[in-house]
Amino acid sequence: MSTLSAAGSDPSASPRRSKRTEILENRPVNLDGFVEEWPEVGMVAMDSPYDPEPSVRVDNGVVVEMDGRTREDFDFLDQFIADHAIDASAAQRAMALSPTEIAHMLVDPKISRAEVLEVSRGLTPAKLLEVVKTMNVVEMMMALQKMRARRTPANQAHSTSARDNPVQVAADAAEAGLRGFRELETTLGVVRYAPLVAIALQVGAQAGKPGALTQCALEEATELELGMRGITGYAETISVYGTEAVFCDGDDTPWSKAFLASAYASRGIKMRFTSGTGSEVQMGNAESRSMLYLEIRCILVAKGAGVQGLQNGSISCIGVPGAVPAGIRAVLAENLVASTVDLECASGNDQSFSHSDMRRTARLLPQLMSGTDFVCSGYSGVPNYDNMFAGSNLDPEDYDDWNVIQRDLQVDGALRHVPEAEILAARNKAARALQGVFAYLELPPITDKEIEAVTYSHGSNELPFREVLDDLKAAQSVMDRGVSGLDIVKGLEAGGFPDIAEALLGVLRQRVSGDLLHTSAILTPELTTLSAINDSNDYAGPGTGYRPSGARWEEMKRLRHVVSARNPEEEVG
Amino acid sequence: MTIELDPQRDYPLASRRPELLKTPTGKRLDEITMEAVLAGEVAAEDLRIAPETLRLQAQIADSVGRPQLAQNFRRAAELTALPDEKVLGIYNALRPGASTKRHLTDIAEELERDYSATLCGRLVREAADVYERRGILAD
Repeated sequence: MSTLSAAGSDPSASPRRSKRTEILENRPVNLDGFVEEWPEVGMVAMDSPYDPEPSVRVDNGVVVEMDGRTREDFDFLDQFIADHAIDASAAQRAMALSPTEIAHMLVDPKISRAEVLEVSRGLTPAKLLEVVKTMNVVEMMMALQKMRARRTPANQAHSTSARDNPVQVAADAAEAGLRGFRELETTLGVVRYAPLVAIALQVGAQAGKPGALTQCALEEATELELGMRGITGYAETISVYGTEAVFCDGDDTPWSKAFLASAYASRGIKMRFTSGTGSEVQMGNAESRSMLYLEIRCILVAKGAGVQGLQNGSISCIGVPGAVPAGIRAVLAENLVASTVDLECASGNDQSFSHSDMRRTARLLPQLMSGTDFVCSGYSGVPNYDNMFAGSNLDPEDYDDWNVIQRDLQVDGALRHVPEAEILAARNKAARALQGVFAYLELPPITDKEIEAVTYSHGSNELPFREVLDDLKAAQSVMDRGVSGLDIVKGLEAGGFPDIAEALLGVLRQRVSGDLLHTSAILTPELTTLSAINDSNDYAGPGTGYRPSGARWEEMKRLRHVVSARNPEEEVG
Repeated sequence: MTIELDPQRDYPLASRRPELLKTPTGKRLDEITMEAVLAGEVAAEDLRIAPETLRLQAQIADSVGRPQLAQNFRRAAELTALPDEKVLGIYNALRPGASTKRHLTDIAEELERDYSATLCGRLVREAADVYERRGILAD
C-alpha cells in the first residue's frame, strides 16, 4: 500500500490517517481479540435476556421448582444443585430478599461473613447472578475481601517445561517455593513424562521452602493415581461445566465428580474443582445462557459435591469473556460467588489473555487488592515458551513488578523478593536432590552439567538435551514398579538430602490427619495447616481483617534495589 | 464412643489432638518417623487416612457450617475400605454413557453389601435414576 499518493488523486486509496491513529493501531492491546455480544449463542458475559428469572419452590423439604423450571424438567445440573447445594430450609427466606439487599449485605463490612453465608446457602443460580449484576467492580472487591474463606492470602505457581525436563521443573519449583508460592502446579507436553516431572516437582517444592503442595494436571483418573501414590500432594484440574451437554462432552457428570471428590478425600488428599466463564460457549453448547449464569451453576455443583474449593476465574477460557463487554467484571464476579458460597477460591489470573501489560495488570488488580485464597492459580514460574498451560497472565519476568506493587499499595500478594544467592542455592540444591532421587530409583542419570546449567538458566532453551526415549521408558517403569512418595523420601535420604526428605515425609504425613482437607487449607513452611478454620477471614471493615504487618511487611519492603535514605549511594536491599 | 470436638480448640488435629489419630494400619502419627521409614517399618498404607479420622473431620466440618463438606468426608470414610482400582472403576462407571442402569445398581448393591458404604451406594443409585431420566445410560 502506498502512503505517498496525494489525497483525492486515487479514489480507491484508504483515507488519510493521523499519526496518532497509527501509534494507537500499533499498541499491543490492538493485538487482543474483541467481539460484540451474541446472546443467542451465549456470547455474553453476565447480562443476557435469555437467563432465567430467579425462583424457588420447596415442598416437604424438597426443591420442586428452581429458576423457572419445575422438578420434572430439571436437567442434571438443576437436580444436583437443588438436592445437594441449596439448603431447602433456608431457600424461601433467602430468596425473598431482593438482589440489592443481598448485595448490600455482601458489601457492608458491618454484616459479618457468617451472616452472609446464612443467606447464600439458600440462593439459586439465577438469584446469585441477579445479586452480582447489581454490583460494580469496586463493590465486588469490597465483598471479596470479606468473603474469601482464609484470612491470609496465598499464591500458586506453574512449574512446567517445554521439553518436560524434570531438572528444570525441580529448580523452578524450588525457586517458586522460596519466593512464597504455597502451591505448585505442573502439566506436560508429552503426557507419558508425567511420573518423572511430578517427582521432580515434589522434590523441588520441598527443596525451596517446606510445605509447598504440588499437583500434576492430567486426565482425571491418572491424576488420581499419582495422588494416591503420594507422588503429588493435591489435585485441582477436576473440571465441571455449566450445561449438561458440555458436562457430558467432558465425559463426566456432577455425580461422577462428586464421587471423585470423595475418592480423593478417602486417601487424605486435598482437591478442588475447576470451572470458568466461557467454557460452555467455547465448547459450543451454552444453551443461550450468559457465561456467568452457567459458571454459577458450576460453582453450586462444586458446593453440592462437598468439595472444599474451586479454581475459577475463566482459567483456560479467559480469551472468551476477555473479548466481550464487562467480561473481566464477570470473571471477578465468579470469584466472588465462589467465595460467597463458602468455597476456597483459587482465582485465576493464570492463562495469558492480553498482549497489553496495562490490560493484564488491570485484570489482576481486583483479586490482588481484595486478596483471595490463591491470587493466581497459577502464576508462571517459567518463561512463556516453557509454560505448558498456554502461558500465564504473570511471568517470571514480572516478579520484581509484583513485589513493587505489593510494596506500593501495601497489599499482600504472597510473594517476596529473594536475593540471587539464595535463589541460586535453592535451584542448585533442588537439581542435586533430584539427581540423588533419580540415581536411587535407577532412573536415567542427571549430569553435573545439567545441574550447573539449570542453576543459572531462565528456561529450557539453555539446558542440555536429555535422552527423551530413556526418560519415557523410565517414566513407565515408575508406574509399573509402583514407586510412591515414600520411595522419593528414601531416595532423598540416600542422596544426602535429609532435610528435604524430612520435609516431604512431613507433607505425606498430613494425609493421615486430614487437616488439609478443610476449606482453603495450605501448609506453612513449618508444616502447620492454615485453613478457613484456624485462619478464618475476620474482615469487618477498617482496622480489621488481614493487613500486612510486622515481619511480613518488613519482608515486603525489600526489593532488588532499595537505597539508603541517608546515603543514596548505598543499597539496603 | 463419641468424641466432642471444638474446632477452635482441637483443629488442626495433627498438632492439637494427635492422640485421636491412627493410620489404617494402627500406627500413631509420631511413629511415622524418618528412622521408621528407613528401617522399612512404614509402608504406603501407613500414609493413608483412617475412616475414623474422616468422621472426626466431618464432625468439624459440620460444626463450622459446612454440611456438604462433612457429607463428602463421610462418603470418603466409606471409600477407605475400597482398593484403588475399585475406586477408579466406580468413577469410570459413573461417567456419562458408560453404564447400564443394571450395572450402576449392581455397584450400589456391592458398595452397600461388601463395604457398608451406604452413602456412596445412595449416590450411585441417585445417579442411576438421573441418568435414566436424562438419557445418559449405556444402551
